[in-house]
Amino acid sequence: MSKIKIATDWLAGCAGCHMSLLDIDERIVKLLESVEFTSSPVTDLKHPPEDGVTIGILEGAVCNTHNVEVAKEMRKRCQILIAIGDCATFGGVPAMRNLVGTQEALKRAYIETESVVGGLIPGSSELGEPLDTVTGVDKVVKVDVFIPGCPPSADALFFALSELLAGRTPVILPPEYLKYD
Amino acid sequence: MSQVIVTIDNIEVKVRPGTTILAAAKEAGIDIPTLCNHRALSPTGACRVCVVEVEGQRTLQAACVFPVAEGMKIKTDSDRVVKARKLVLDMIFAERNHFCPFCEASGDCELQNLGYRYGIDHWAYETYLKPYPIDATRQFFLMDHNRCILCGRCIRACDELVGNHTLGLRQRGTRSMVGADTDTPFGESTCISCGTCLQVCPTGAIFDGRSSYMGREVQTEHIKSTCSQCSIGCGIEIATRGGNVLRVKGDWDAEVNKGLLCKKGRFEKLHDGRKRVEVPLLRQGGGLQAVSWDQALKATAERVKESDAEGVGVLTSSNATNEALYMLSALTREMKVTNIGLLNGVSPGLSGIRRGALADIAKGDVILAVGADPVRNQPVASFLIKRAVDKGARLIVVDDADNDLSCLATMKFGVPDVGRAVDVAARAENTVVIYGERVPSSAVGTLETLRQRAVFIALEPGVNTQAAVAFGLKNGFKSSAVKTLFVLFGEEQWDGMDVKLGEIGEDAFVTVVSSYISPLTDRADVVLPMAIWSERSGTLTNVEGRVQKVRAAVYPEGEAKPDWEIISLLAGMLGKKFDESPDKISDRAIEALKGGGIHRE
Repeated sequence: MSKIKIATDWLAGCAGCHMSLLDIDERIVKLLESVEFTSSPVTDLKHPPEDGVTIGILEGAVCNTHNVEVAKEMRKRCQILIAIGDCATFGGVPAMRNLVGTQEALKRAYIETESVVGGLIPGSSELGEPLDTVTGVDKVVKVDVFIPGCPPSADALFFALSELLAGRTPVILPPEYLKYD
Repeated sequence: MSQVIVTIDNIEVKVRPGTTILAAAKEAGIDIPTLCNHRALSPTGACRVCVVEVEGQRTLQAACVFPVAEGMKIKTDSDRVVKARKLVLDMIFAERNHFCPFCEASGDCELQNLGYRYGIDHWAYETYLKPYPIDATRQFFLMDHNRCILCGRCIRACDELVGNHTLGLRQRGTRSMVGADTDTPFGESTCISCGTCLQVCPTGAIFDGRSSYMGREVQTEHIKSTCSQCSIGCGIEIATRGGNVLRVKGDWDAEVNKGLLCKKGRFEKLHDGRKRVEVPLLRQGGGLQAVSWDQALKATAERVKESDAEGVGVLTSSNATNEALYMLSALTREMKVTNIGLLNGVSPGLSGIRRGALADIAKGDVILAVGADPVRNQPVASFLIKRAVDKGARLIVVDDADNDLSCLATMKFGVPDVGRAVDVAARAENTVVIYGERVPSSAVGTLETLRQRAVFIALEPGVNTQAAVAFGLKNGFKSSAVKTLFVLFGEEQWDGMDVKLGEIGEDAFVTVVSSYISPLTDRADVVLPMAIWSERSGTLTNVEGRVQKVRAAVYPEGEAKPDWEIISLLAGMLGKKFDESPDKISDRAIEALKGGGIHRE
């Protein structure tokens, strides 16, 4: 039997959820018997294979047009999309920007910060355009499984993957794995 | 009494008609989730989390307000119910900021717990966009409107429990806000900072400044004790972590206060900025030097032994346990010391009266407050009075001094007119007389004429004043004759106390048992460090004569010891042995109080 392919990526996140994924420790050896990690921020392959993967995992909120692109590409190339962490599920810390507004936040960060002299808000066609509202991934693409937590525990992530590998859907997180902080 | 039989989730339960579905379900052992409902508050059915399916009813009904009827069939966990509850939660989460990681209440939040219970793993609707203000104008606690779910618990607590009516809801729809006095910053409003709203808030909307982010309920230890800030004796729950007191809550199960606390009892005692006395101090070569307990006690004991009984004076704070006061009283009797004083006044003794409990205030149709200002001195008693006034009781205030109850009074008289007040009170069915230290002896006889028809509550100044008086620790202290002075000062504030430094002779030998540094400890020859309210165990007697347990929540600071232990050690040095175990001393003290007619079961 060929291995189940998994691709992961991060949007506006802190990498903490990926760290939590690595925190499944030696269980990853067992996991690797049945899955293959393809693209991820920590592997050489940066885009999910064009012929698709079974499971796509996204961390981080949708903050700019680049995030939207990455999310859409992942959605197109995976069968089951998992949003992990508070940013991907709720908007999280990046969504605090919504409370002041994007332009206001950019101004504060790049121009009005006390240490800045002659500040400039970055603007380049190579950069994603900041969105007016930061949202969770599900406001941009359809998400199949949500695992909130800041970060979600390694146990919660391992539980969800194990359920999917066993063919049990929908994944219902038991209360001990559901947490918002 | 007639009963109705209802079926909840196929369990038959027999309850009184008029019982709410929520209460009936509880009886049947079925847990219906709630959010706006609170055990101490009247139900309003605001949040709709407790909706259930009632057979024959077109729509789902809020269990907290819907009364049961004979033969009613109720489903509390059907698919329809669960779907409705999830919808309600999704909508609550969609409004304002309910993002947990940076919320103070995370881990102790009732909304969060419901989110977990119903598997809310993402937000079904658009996320929060509009920031709401944070009101930090009060000294001790804050309100973050972003976390508010408009359940109205705080508003009901302010109305129903405290009777202060400061909080209300203003605006409508998404612009609804909890506000004080229509629209006034809390710090400038009529808010009295009792913190009852803080205690009932289910989310992180109202939170304590001092202890925020310092420990969730499960990470803290909880010790039930009795507040020693005034003579009411409210039940408290002290939350500690790592040997530090984090916060104090009113104990909902306490009979005296049923969860209520005031600003003093909840906040001020945790913000005491005075410097502690940490080690025993002895005056040597002009200055106070740190010495061992043994040295300090020996210095005092030797001096006391040298003095004749007339030259010894004893002053005590009423903020001492029954045990300490009992032992101090026994010790002074043994040593024939009679120059004894209490650091606060007492209310006059009325004879032949029926002494009431604080709960009687609610039953009164006329409340006669004479020479007492509970708003300032025993705030929780004033809450009970305000509640009675809200329910229609007439308040008559008799006082010559400025009295904060006056604004609620139907009538107000000066003390010389106490007779007129008594005439009015005599016409009522249930009169409750509340009196304090400002009742002059001339008014005593007039008040006593109400003895047939009224219950009396003496709002004693100080803390354990009833016990101190019962133990005879108030014989009229004269500072002029004192050569050796012993002051059990405890946690008293140094302001306007009976003991004036100038009147104590220059050559008098002064021993002060104190928790804090003050001009009195500076004058002292021996200073013995005393444990404060959170560090001592024992019992206190409240205004009702109720003897309640005080439990140490943390270890004393430095080398400080509890009051009764200090007296016990000193007594040992003076050749008098008390029972070894504190429990036995407690028993003796309580026995003595019973003998004095103070303690009532």
